[in-house]
Amino acid sequence: MSDARNLWSHRLAVDFRAALVVVAVLAAAPIVVTSPYTLGILIVSMYFALLAMGWNLLAGFAGQFSLAPAAFAMLGAYVPGLLDYHWHVSLAVGIPAGIVGTAIVGWLLGRVVLRLRGPYLALTTLSFAEIARVVISNSYDFTRGAQGLNVPTLMQSRVGYYYLFVAVVLVVLAGLFFVMRSAIGRFWLAIRDDETGAESRGIDVVRYKTLAFALSCAICGLAGALYGTFSQLVSPELGLLLQTGIVIAMVVIGGIGTLTGPLVGALLVYLASEWMRGLGNVQMIVFSALVIIFARFFREGLWGLVARRRVRALPRAAAGAR
Amino acid sequence: MTLLRTEGLAKHFGGVAAVDDLALAVEEGEILGLIGPNGSGKTTALNMLSGFLVPDRGSVWFADENVTGKKPVALARRGLLRMFQTTRVFVRISAFDNLLTAGLARGLDEAEARERARVLLEELTLTPVMYLDAGQLSGGQRKLLEFGMCFIAPPRLALLDEPFAAVHPVMRETMARFIRRRNEEGHTFLVVSHDMPIVVELCDRAACMNAGRLIAIGATRDVLQDPVVIEAYLGSESHV
Ligand SMILES: Nc1ncnc2c1ncn2[C@@H]1O[C@H](COP(=O)(O)OP(=O)(O)O)[C@@H](O)[C@H]1O
Ligand SMILES: [Mg+2]
Repeated sequence: MSDARNLWSHRLAVDFRAALVVVAVLAAAPIVVTSPYTLGILIVSMYFALLAMGWNLLAGFAGQFSLAPAAFAMLGAYVPGLLDYHWHVSLAVGIPAGIVGTAIVGWLLGRVVLRLRGPYLALTTLSFAEIARVVISNSYDFTRGAQGLNVPTLMQSRVGYYYLFVAVVLVVLAGLFFVMRSAIGRFWLAIRDDETGAESRGIDVVRYKTLAFALSCAICGLAGALYGTFSQLVSPELGLLLQTGIVIAMVVIGGIGTLTGPLVGALLVYLASEWMRGLGNVQMIVFSALVIIFARFFREGLWGLVARRRVRALPRAAAGAR
Repeated sequence: MTLLRTEGLAKHFGGVAAVDDLALAVEEGEILGLIGPNGSGKTTALNMLSGFLVPDRGSVWFADENVTGKKPVALARRGLLRMFQTTRVFVRISAFDNLLTAGLARGLDEAEARERARVLLEELTLTPVMYLDAGQLSGGQRKLLEFGMCFIAPPRLALLDEPFAAVHPVMRETMARFIRRRNEEGHTFLVVSHDMPIVVELCDRAACMNAGRLIAIGATRDVLQDPVVIEAYLGSESHV
């Protein structure tokens, strides 16, 4: 019935290997995909993959259902943008500043919402996200508001950007793998499953929750900072709640609490949405329906379905009971 | 030596004095039973001893240090661990991973934690289910798993809240044996229980609470025969 393949270390190793295969496919894609337009679509889908991995760290691994990933991408994008616009600070400083800045804000947000759970946590992070977006939209003198801000680019080559995103996805993925394999990752899972229980076992819940916020927000900030230089325009629209909704859909469909799930979910959902673009607003209906179906019937998403098939007959009978 | 003691400990919920002026001492090396009818304040007392509730008044001393108001993590670091009345295991990771996590949380390195997890699983008869998610275990198995998590790096004092309630008799015996063996190795316990035969068998001393107050403390048999204690139990709807 059950065997050692259900151990976290094993599940994670299999998961990581599968994610590496996906990254390898992405790395090989430019051999066949040469159109700049299609490469651009893939770059954007990798931007979403980074957001999905960042949000999954917080929601899927540490159990903190935040509604702010897109807001942190927006903040991460504005930091290098504003540094360049006002003070001509180079991207070599601006991008790291965006990462550190979002990590600090994420850490602070984590402190603020420390005692909040479930819907209260979601609503507070949502308010934070909306306030951040509205402040940026309305601070016209500083941010040029809804008009957006031009950002310099890192390079002209689209293929170059493509490989930059592939490399960053790989680094984030490997980082997540090592963290999730360590005590920190295990403590996050414990906090996700039972916060009070984790506390009673001697886990410093405050410390690990705020760490999860800081790291998750830094990943989203990194994604935003890179995306801003790629599109050469940052605007408050990056932080729209709709964007967060898309990220959540990607993670839920791909498989929450896994490494491969958010990556695959982001690629599939974004590519599908591009494909459905011609059909009008049908996309959101389709994805919303898919999210409901997955959340209700396939709690572990697409990756869960695949992994389960691999590990035949891992009993899940009690899944509904608890 | 007194390992844990409280002075004038009190907690009110609205108008209810859940715990009132509690002075309790746990001696190093003993198993102290804490009995009392439902609602007499046992869990509230444990919550204050383990840092999950801040007392309204009074103080908690652990190994001659004033630990009143300290957080559960800080107390765990000092070797004061507790188990809850309702089991708290990490449901979406395997039983083995639960133990491993608990070991890491107490500062063991991974190899050591793995080794101890295997030994504990064997002792707690959980080896056959070690790869199942903890959420798939029976209530009794979860309780046993929690024992394992508590003892993977043995605490100086373990506070157990109704560990035997609603547990299969065979597992109850496994738990009692586990507690006795750890006690023989020198570990100290405060056990809240309704199960009088087990209290008699396990505990050197017992304390009885009623309506938030300590009404008797002493040798277990003496406490159980104390008219005040019998009165308290008869006076409540709950049965002994
Ligand atoms: N969080 C709480 N809020 C309000 N009342 C509580 C709370 N916890 C316990 N009480 C009350 O305090 C009293 C003692 O409860 P408790 O400590 O759980 O007793 P025991 O564990 O001995 O059954 C009861 O009257 C209970 O209703
Ligand atoms: Mg109780």
